[in-house]
Amino acid sequence: MRTRFSTLIPVLVPVVFLWLGSVASAQGDKEKFKARYEASPSDSNFDRHDLSGIWTQTKLDHSLGTPAPPLTPAGIAAMAGRIVDKPGVTGNAPWYSCNPMGFPRLMNDDEPMEFIMAKDRILQVFQWEHRIRYLWTDGRELPSGENLENLGPAWYGHSVAKWEGNKLVVNTVGLEERAWLDNAGHPKSFHARIEETWERVDSNTLENQLTLYDPEYYSAPYVGSKKIYKRMPPDAIIYFGWSGLFAGISEGICAPMNEVEGYNKGFRDLGAKPKQ
Amino acid sequence: MRRVSILLFVLSITVVSLYAHHGRGATYDMKKRITLKGTVSRVDWRNPHVVIFMDVKDETGKVVTWGFENAGVSQLAQEGYNRNTLKVGQEITAIVNPAANGATTAIVVKVILADGSEIMSRERGQNPVD
Repeated sequence: MRTRFSTLIPVLVPVVFLWLGSVASAQGDKEKFKARYEASPSDSNFDRHDLSGIWTQTKLDHSLGTPAPPLTPAGIAAMAGRIVDKPGVTGNAPWYSCNPMGFPRLMNDDEPMEFIMAKDRILQVFQWEHRIRYLWTDGRELPSGENLENLGPAWYGHSVAKWEGNKLVVNTVGLEERAWLDNAGHPKSFHARIEETWERVDSNTLENQLTLYDPEYYSAPYVGSKKIYKRMPPDAIIYFGWSGLFAGISEGICAPMNEVEGYNKGFRDLGAKPKQ
Repeated sequence: MRRVSILLFVLSITVVSLYAHHGRGATYDMKKRITLKGTVSRVDWRNPHVVIFMDVKDETGKVVTWGFENAGVSQLAQEGYNRNTLKVGQEITAIVNPAANGATTAIVVKVILADGSEIMSRERGQNPVD
């Protein structure tokens, strides 16, 4: 074991170094997130089937929160060419050039999202990308077989939801393969299904858990960890007298004019070019 | 081995978390800090990152324009800053991590105003540049 561990030291040392170096700035974000939600007034008389409100994840974690199961050969092939961003290397995540993050990566982002309850659907609205996801609760079945093949892939898939007790169970199929599952570039196949659950455990807290069923690309179901979302207090969603998730400056649209031309080419890359 | 795999996973997501929307790679020398004293010449108050440009005199007296990036507009607004917090012509001191290749671009550490107050500090979580 000692020998095995020794061989890992060259790998572990730089990772630990990077981690230590990242703690200071990540810590600031964590505390900032806490300030966003700790002022929300609680209400003991709440409806467990009403998810309405603007919520934020309590931790920075752009993954499913657990190690991925081993990939199948097809999964390994699907992941080929994906470059993860790290010190010294600029990655090629699709969202770096304003492509959609897709589901579920957008849900694991650190900007807030809103649930809007409607009669036959629940809308999940994301600040980043200014994006809407439809969770159909009208009793329809998920598309399958020829219908799914004809519908084809979608960045956010096709989703149906139903209540099982106090848990909202959402199933999503038909996902776009080019969208990364997480920041590590894990893949998901078009024929994958993602099951997620949402439970309102108190007036200001939602619990979410997600499992990816994708036998084409993974040797076992990929079971994600439990994620906690907290309700954002009113004063955290008001900007200069105007409230809401898309209050102007918070609209979160990734515009290529800003992101690609303005930031990537116009600023960031100036410092990244090799020394002359 | 399983424990080591889990440790690597935990550490890797922490490192990767710093790069949420945008890749930076080796753009900045994060071990180096420099102090820029000068006047604000332009404020690009927009996503994905607010960029402040300032005119700085170098050791020969020549004016050089520097730009340093900050968090996005919603994160800065959460901290009470807006697009008029820094005005063109205003004297500031910026502590930054400079570009690794010698370009006059940088990423913010903090901004110090003429009265000595510190604003937009990444160290204090007021400027979460991810």
